[in-house]
Amino acid sequence: METLILWLLVLGCVGAFAAQVAARVRLIAAAQNTFSLDNFGSRLGRFLVDVVAQRSTIVERPLVGVAHAAVFWGFLAFSGYTTAEFLHGLGMVDLVHASGFSTYRAVLTPFAVAVLSGIVALLIRRVFVRPIALGETLSFESVVIALFIATLMVTFLLAWRLDEASLAGRANWWVHSLVILAFVVLIPASKHFHLVLSPFTVLLKSTELGNVPNLDFEKEQVGLEIVSDLGSKTVLDALTCVECGRCQVNCPAWGAGKELNPKTIILQTRDALLSGTRDRKLVEIYSDKVLWQCTTCGACENQCPVGIEHLPLIVGSRRGLVSNGEAPSYLGGMYNHLERRANIWGLTADQRQKFVESAGLEIFDPQKHDVLVWLGCAGGFEADFQKSLRSLFEILRVRHVRYGVLAKERCTGDPAKRTGNEYLYQELAKVNIDELQAARPKTILTSCPHCLKTLGSDYRKFGYHAKVVHSAAFIEELTRDMRPSPTAAGSVTYHDPCYLGRYAGQVDEPRELLRRFGATINEPVRNRENPYCCGAGGGLLFADKEEEPGSRISDVRFGQLRETGSATVVTACPFCSIMLKGARASAQAGPGARSSDADDLQIVDLMTYVNGQLAKA
Amino acid sequence: MILVVGEERRGRLNRASWEAIAAAQQLAAGRPLVVAVLGADIRAVALELAAAQVTEVVAIQHAALEPYTPDGYTAALEQAIVQLSPTVVVLPHTYQTRDFAPTIAARMERALVTDVIRLRISGENIAYARPMFQGKLTADVVPLGPAPHFITVQVGAFRADQASRGAVPAPVRSLSVSIDSTAIRQTPEAPFQEARQAVDLSQAQRIVSVGRGIKDAANIAVAQRLAEALGAELAASRPICDAGWLPMERQVGSSGQTVAPKLYLALGISGAIQHLVGMKGSKTIVAINKDPDAPIFEVADYGVVGDLFDIVPALTTALKE
Repeated sequence: METLILWLLVLGCVGAFAAQVAARVRLIAAAQNTFSLDNFGSRLGRFLVDVVAQRSTIVERPLVGVAHAAVFWGFLAFSGYTTAEFLHGLGMVDLVHASGFSTYRAVLTPFAVAVLSGIVALLIRRVFVRPIALGETLSFESVVIALFIATLMVTFLLAWRLDEASLAGRANWWVHSLVILAFVVLIPASKHFHLVLSPFTVLLKSTELGNVPNLDFEKEQVGLEIVSDLGSKTVLDALTCVECGRCQVNCPAWGAGKELNPKTIILQTRDALLSGTRDRKLVEIYSDKVLWQCTTCGACENQCPVGIEHLPLIVGSRRGLVSNGEAPSYLGGMYNHLERRANIWGLTADQRQKFVESAGLEIFDPQKHDVLVWLGCAGGFEADFQKSLRSLFEILRVRHVRYGVLAKERCTGDPAKRTGNEYLYQELAKVNIDELQAARPKTILTSCPHCLKTLGSDYRKFGYHAKVVHSAAFIEELTRDMRPSPTAAGSVTYHDPCYLGRYAGQVDEPRELLRRFGATINEPVRNRENPYCCGAGGGLLFADKEEEPGSRISDVRFGQLRETGSATVVTACPFCSIMLKGARASAQAGPGARSSDADDLQIVDLMTYVNGQLAKA
Repeated sequence: MILVVGEERRGRLNRASWEAIAAAQQLAAGRPLVVAVLGADIRAVALELAAAQVTEVVAIQHAALEPYTPDGYTAALEQAIVQLSPTVVVLPHTYQTRDFAPTIAARMERALVTDVIRLRISGENIAYARPMFQGKLTADVVPLGPAPHFITVQVGAFRADQASRGAVPAPVRSLSVSIDSTAIRQTPEAPFQEARQAVDLSQAQRIVSVGRGIKDAANIAVAQRLAEALGAELAASRPICDAGWLPMERQVGSSGQTVAPKLYLALGISGAIQHLVGMKGSKTIVAINKDPDAPIFEVADYGVVGDLFDIVPALTTALKE
């Protein structure tokens, strides 16, 4: 009798599970295939580290992460036990009384205690601590699932004390089994579906942060406009989201009080997909304001423990808006500058030429020069950054590195790419690649992390593979044998640019340089691979104040850097420098301005710092 | 006979119409010159045009001409041209003209020379100069084929104040046309209105702009007095507007307004690039700053390294004398 009831229940529950899963698989199958398994080795490595070893879950929130890991590993450990119990209950095969099973059960006991402690801790956090990342309202469903898991562990432990054949023993067995069956039915429609999907999502996540594939204009691709334009990876992402809110709390826009919340975007995508409105406009789902508040800093994507890629969705939706002429007006001006003058400022090429002449730069010749220095829009035109480049040239001269520049440079297209003006980006990229191929440099050296990402990583998608190095890494290697007499430089705060720290992972080189040249480093909150953005990326350098509800991202970051108490902030990106100087100016003039300490705070580019220390030595 | 087509919108004459009249007067050199104007209610505009030294003003009034549609205008103007048979039709190169002029020229199979900046008249031969390749070259274009030839003149290329006015008003007569309103294919929406800013710095001839060197909200008055003495608008860099010392609409730079005055006086502005890109189009830039290394001196035509609180009051006093 019990066997028959269990058979009916199992068939019903597995059927309900399969039907729900099938509906979701159909959504993924209906989308344009954007799955890729390139670089399989590094994908597999990341899978082992982030899924099996739970690194990304633990790193950001150690206590929560360990509690989750306990539940996850317990889940794996229990899979054999659950299978055996069901096979036995269904009268198929009795492994429960096989030799060794009681040893297995004994091994499971510490796991059960760990899972129980973990889930109780997580439940307390969810119900009583209620961190903002988990949403403003308590998720009833999550509480039920947590209680289910706790019940499973309690019934497992109780089974030690109860006679298997007694009424209490049978009741205990049934409670355990019924909870598992209810779990199976509930999973697909809940965020706990991540335990099925996230291994796939992590494996399918691009190995390159912020990987937004080129549009193919021959195929009349224009970007994402409606729900059915979403690619299969994005659909999988939306169904995988576990709603942990790591993307949210790490998002600089959300942190500065803006409307953008990367988690909301993913959940809105999921809801739109499940409601079956395939022709609904994405901009109506997310709102255009939200889409234009992203700095493309990559924090959301980088922190996501289940392999979600936010940037292809955000930049893809921006592309859809740009192709319909719906970019915000401040970007219109910047696009015009790029079209007419090929730099973001709209300044004329003779101003770059003036700098090239006054800095005594030679036109690159592969026979004569070791490296090609890429100036970029900042290097070509921004007076403060030009000072830093002069420092770089000085160091190169002292170390006998021969360098030249291109006679004519265009913007790499970074701001066009990140804001979704793909056509403009590709136009700029193709001309630059032609000229770089003609110039044949072995190494391209740049001091701009955005140029680094675009030239060194994005241009590979056009088949251009040059060695592109940021000055921090290049000069670190170049000055390794130098032991300058330690001049007391005092303590400095290093601000990691997103495109250098998070995208390129170059967090040790700048610090090593600073230490080598006499600095003690103060670390701000949000540093190394997870810095808080300066607010310039993704075209927001050009944003109007009106487009920025909440605080300016740059003001928030400036405050964090000032908190360290250093008199000097060193950074390695011209745009971080521009934003932070702007924030400093606002702090000086603002209400309640502490003009004395804001005045004292020096914002210095890494190259200027190093060269200044060299000159002192 | 030369025909000028004036432009009326919502009861007002577009100033560029006078520029077209000036061009047509050069072209006519004494020959008969007629000004036509089209619209639903154009009596006032026709009387205004009658001040010009022209043979007559022709008012083409029809209910279907309001609001403007390319089909309505083309139909009405074609009938007028057939009746008046001019040798040249001169239009101001406005957005509206750009919209319908190619249609009517193509429909009548006549030559059209657009965006004309100068007339080259040698005896009977007339060539029309117009810019090419984004203004890099100027071409002299001679229209071929039977009359009339359509000419549109670039706005600003001829001076409205050089259009001769007659001693007595020119006669105004109305010319009736028939327009089949069902044949008009366009249904215009309400005209786009640029979000109106309380302060339009982009049109200012002179601007006095303050930066962080002004130090305190109370010191804005120092700059304000100089601006009054110069007849200039007051503007500022971002930190000043952020702090609320001046309203947002007076902010110059990439996140504020883009300006191109004849004179831009930068007081205590260091010249962050976002500010520079908003004012780089200024004809003459004068910078006063304590810091000789300030980037503003890179773009300034005249630079004064010094304390603005010494220089500005002295300058204001000197200007008042």
